[in-house]
Amino acid sequence: MIEVSGLTKTYGKKRGIDRLNFTIQDGEIVGFLGPNGAGKSTTMNIITGYLSANSGAARISGIDVLEDPVAAKRNIGYLPEQPPLYLDMTVEEYLNFIFDLKGVKELKRKEHLAEVCELVGLKDHYKRLIRNLSKGYKQRVGLAQALVGNPDVLILDEPTVGLDPKQIIEIRNVIKNLGRNRTIILSTHILQEVSAICERVLVINNGQIVADDKPDNLSAMITGDRKLIVRVAGPRDNVRKILRSVEGVQFADVTVQSEKGSYDFLVEAKPNVDIRKPMFTALAKAGYPILQLKSMDLSLEDIFIKLTEEKKTVRQPQNKQPKKQRPEESAAPAEEAAESFAPIDVNLGGDADFEEKEGDN
Amino acid sequence: MFAVYKRDLRAYFTSPLGYVFIAAFLIITNLIFFVTNLLTGANALVNVYSIILYILIIVVPVLTMRTFSEDYKQKTDQLLLTAPVKASGIVLGKFLAAYTVYFIALVFTILYVIIVAAVGDVNMGAVVGNYIALLAVAAVYIAIGCFISSLTENQLVAAIATLGVFIALFLMDYAYSLVNVDWIKGVLYWLSIFRRFNTFRLGVFSVADFFYYVSIAAAFIFLTVRVLEKKRWS
Repeated sequence: MIEVSGLTKTYGKKRGIDRLNFTIQDGEIVGFLGPNGAGKSTTMNIITGYLSANSGAARISGIDVLEDPVAAKRNIGYLPEQPPLYLDMTVEEYLNFIFDLKGVKELKRKEHLAEVCELVGLKDHYKRLIRNLSKGYKQRVGLAQALVGNPDVLILDEPTVGLDPKQIIEIRNVIKNLGRNRTIILSTHILQEVSAICERVLVINNGQIVADDKPDNLSAMITGDRKLIVRVAGPRDNVRKILRSVEGVQFADVTVQSEKGSYDFLVEAKPNVDIRKPMFTALAKAGYPILQLKSMDLSLEDIFIKLTEEKKTVRQPQNKQPKKQRPEESAAPAEEAAESFAPIDVNLGGDADFEEKEGDN
Repeated sequence: MFAVYKRDLRAYFTSPLGYVFIAAFLIITNLIFFVTNLLTGANALVNVYSIILYILIIVVPVLTMRTFSEDYKQKTDQLLLTAPVKASGIVLGKFLAAYTVYFIALVFTILYVIIVAAVGDVNMGAVVGNYIALLAVAAVYIAIGCFISSLTENQLVAAIATLGVFIALFLMDYAYSLVNVDWIKGVLYWLSIFRRFNTFRLGVFSVADFFYYVSIAAAFIFLTVRVLEKKRWS
């Protein structure tokens, strides 16, 4: 069990995390979701006793990390963001060292290490020098290291980063299996990962928890998007006019010229309206074929904006006026156009400014 | 502590570092032994022993530069500091590993004693006293080196800074012989690692100086522990 209460950490004047509170029960797999710099790693480093909080407490199985660090750390397996490997050792030597370092006594060395290697798929690389392993395998060694000694609590900081898709699935399965009898926190900025592994999600942004929910509930929010990207062959202004005239369309504008004679449009529907059919009919009637139609996935940032808008638990960006203007009607460069998806843009611009301000203080 | 000790000691000998240290140490002591004992036929080994003090200025920075710096750089400090081990255990393990490498080098110099003993008289009491002193002095050097390494993640910076500190200590010894003011002399004497060795050189085992060395070493080990513990508050 992990209990975190009132945890605050500041780096100079910049706030790393701000009064975090959460409890994770035994046997739970909790996903820690957040963009870069949200405070995920900081929180994990505090729980594992690598960093100290300015205030607040973290308890592992009832033991305060600050009061009795050695006892608390004995219950933790930690895979930091960058796996802490000694490159000049073989996997075998390294894991034996970890076994000694953690002072594991109740387990049989050989069987236990073989079991750990089997679990993370390192068996064929047991005698190899860590320096010569690929990034994916180094990550596995890091994970194996965390598992040595069968700790009750596993803290994994972006465990699947740097792995190829097949390995990602494998490692996710490993974590899922481990989670049957352990408490696991894993951090990620990949949404799918959370829904694939976790039973509970803590969304963290700007050092605060903005959501604490089941992934299903969160994904309902995620799939509730109404934005479509439509590629239409036809003159820009005409197509835009038609799109805007379709019933249920709240917003439509060109984003980028994709191929010669065709443009990509961002179309946003009004709530609870399916505009795909009327849009198709309208465009077909005018003789402009739809080349592509896809829904725009909400990025993590968008979810944060949604979450922060819905729950007023987080400080709102103070400046309302974004610096950027509406996209120019002319064929803008792709990047600029892609950046200027209007409704998102407003918030993102505000957010970025806010961060800047914070740094300046 | 033992796990860290074992790993670090092993690392000295899977990289060239340990061998380079021992080789450099032995080449210079050999040379001195050859010049002062074999060529002249003298039986006093003190010259070899006192020159070790100066050899250490150059070779100890190489020995200690990586103790902590490398861990910082490779982020393995995160592993050590989140493992169920006390900071003092980590520091002692690393210190003792470096110390062991020096010890191995020093053991080879016993050969000189054997050679001299084979052809002439050796003042065994003085020799043993000198070895004990050499072990104590080196503890000071290595503790200072470890401490400086714990301050930076750059090995080169650690090595050069350590060398700088040793040279400063050496110059203080030199200044002692130039200054005539009593109280400055007193301060310099207190700081001088080298001058205190003179009593051992004369064949006297000075308990006070021995404890001086041991306590300075302990102080720097303690400081290193504090640096490591302080890291989490950064």
